[in-house]
Amino acid sequence: MTPDLSVEVGGLKLRGPVLAASGTFGYGTEVPLLERRALAGMVSKGIFLKPRAGTAPSRIVETPSGMLNAIGLQGPGVDALIRDYAPKWEAWDFPVLVNINGESASEYGEVAARLDGVPGVAGFEINISCPNVEQGGMYFGNDPRAAAAVTEAVRRRTKLPVWVKLTPMVSDIGVIARAVEGAGADALSAVNTFVGMSMDLHAYQPRLSFRTGGLSGPAIRPLAVHLAHQAARAVDIPVVGVGGIMRAEDALEFLVAGCRAVQVGTATFVNPNAIADVHDGIAEFMARKGFASLDELPRYLPRD
Amino acid sequence: MFLTDAPLVERRQVARDMWVLGFAAPDIAASVKAGQFVNIGMRPGPLLRRPFSVYRAGDDRIEVLLKAVGVGTAQMLAMREGDVASCLGPLGRGFDLTLSAKTVSLVSGGLGVAPMPLAARDARAAGLQVTWVHGARTADELCSETEGDEVILATDDGSAGFAGTVVAAAPDADLVLACGPNRMLAAAAQRWPQAQVAVETYMGCGTGVCLGCAVPLTRGGYDRACTEGPVYVASDVDWPALPSHLSYAVSA
Repeated sequence: MTPDLSVEVGGLKLRGPVLAASGTFGYGTEVPLLERRALAGMVSKGIFLKPRAGTAPSRIVETPSGMLNAIGLQGPGVDALIRDYAPKWEAWDFPVLVNINGESASEYGEVAARLDGVPGVAGFEINISCPNVEQGGMYFGNDPRAAAAVTEAVRRRTKLPVWVKLTPMVSDIGVIARAVEGAGADALSAVNTFVGMSMDLHAYQPRLSFRTGGLSGPAIRPLAVHLAHQAARAVDIPVVGVGGIMRAEDALEFLVAGCRAVQVGTATFVNPNAIADVHDGIAEFMARKGFASLDELPRYLPRD
Repeated sequence: MFLTDAPLVERRQVARDMWVLGFAAPDIAASVKAGQFVNIGMRPGPLLRRPFSVYRAGDDRIEVLLKAVGVGTAQMLAMREGDVASCLGPLGRGFDLTLSAKTVSLVSGGLGVAPMPLAARDARAAGLQVTWVHGARTADELCSETEGDEVILATDDGSAGFAGTVVAAAPDADLVLACGPNRMLAAAAQRWPQAQVAVETYMGCGTGVCLGCAVPLTRGGYDRACTEGPVYVASDVDWPALPSHLSYAVSA
């Protein structure tokens, strides 16, 4: 018997629990070797209203079991996204959420308004957690009032599903989670990268030109599982777990920790077919354990 | 683009600390063009793959050139025949040899010799007269394998061939293809603005997704060494803004 892996997350019916994480899948046109049957959905590279060049090189550096990146949300801007990518998405058999960004709450709202109703755009993931921009990004994500204000600004401009991607760089993720839930979010993505730094011992300066970068990969997985779990305990809306998932067992940890679905990111850089491998591994686990659907998977989610 | 588990089938030393590894990878070998690269991953091993220009290709195998500069390359050098590495490729845009020309200079510094045997093969197939120009810091760091109708060697310390930089040693030609440390390529760009140069960058995915291998352009903005590159027209690159990472860099 093939287990039913479909899930409903924040207003979207998905054919499986594994999505492509923002910034690791481009606009969906750049990962030719992935078996897309397994892809439940995609979150686009983060977009601003206007084109952005991104940060100067060096932009990435490998660290133990992980990588630091400071890309700086390089992107073509919302008009080019509507012109060049949304028409392709419309023909695809999985939903595309656009990861939206702004330097102010009103810019987030403006981006959402421009994309609302564009065929091919199934929903939004609000990025209040990018560590690699000077204005906005993570700074909205570690203040509950600012996080709620951005969420409201987007919520007012669209009826499409609105997910909010949280930063791990907070002392209590539950506070932020509840704030954006109260402001109308349909789901949470937890978590974005951790801020890190690496020093060049020849040049005696940071190895990244932006000085700091976002740490991703297996190095952050236990931290991310904990934070996704904390977020899931704090809210009633679904949480999508993200952080260092390389294999099905990693994804299952997030699901057992209380997440409804997961996003795979850095793993795709290493293995272009990682999403399909994770999806198939979850199906195999479910079959082996005798679960007919993901609803039957036990969750560890005490409400104390 | 192919993803294949490729067994090691060959290893030989070509200079002090510099080795050629051969992998059985028939699909990549049959389709790779000069200047393209493969992204090689090890399990267990470092998280990210490592990009390598394809040095030679044929008979169902590809060869890459490496020095042990870090954990990943040290691990590759410790492989035994039959051990498997994951090869993703061919990747990137290689040299353009369709331009009308009669002569080509292949100009390389140190490990920058990596794409040149394949470039020599493709240039000969295009009917070009090939001049091989290769430089290193000292004689024992020169790659012992050469190609082409004429061979010019250069060393910084004068221990073999021309005493000085490889850019100074090279003759003009209808086409100049260059690879080496970015500082050397910046010097090549001054002398031959139209040269085709293969740049070095840190790289994440190798397939155009992560935007980690940004190359600053003279017209502004960045593009991706893995996708629009790694070969550029020299004058298109904003050289002062492109870091040079290679610790084994020869001086330009």
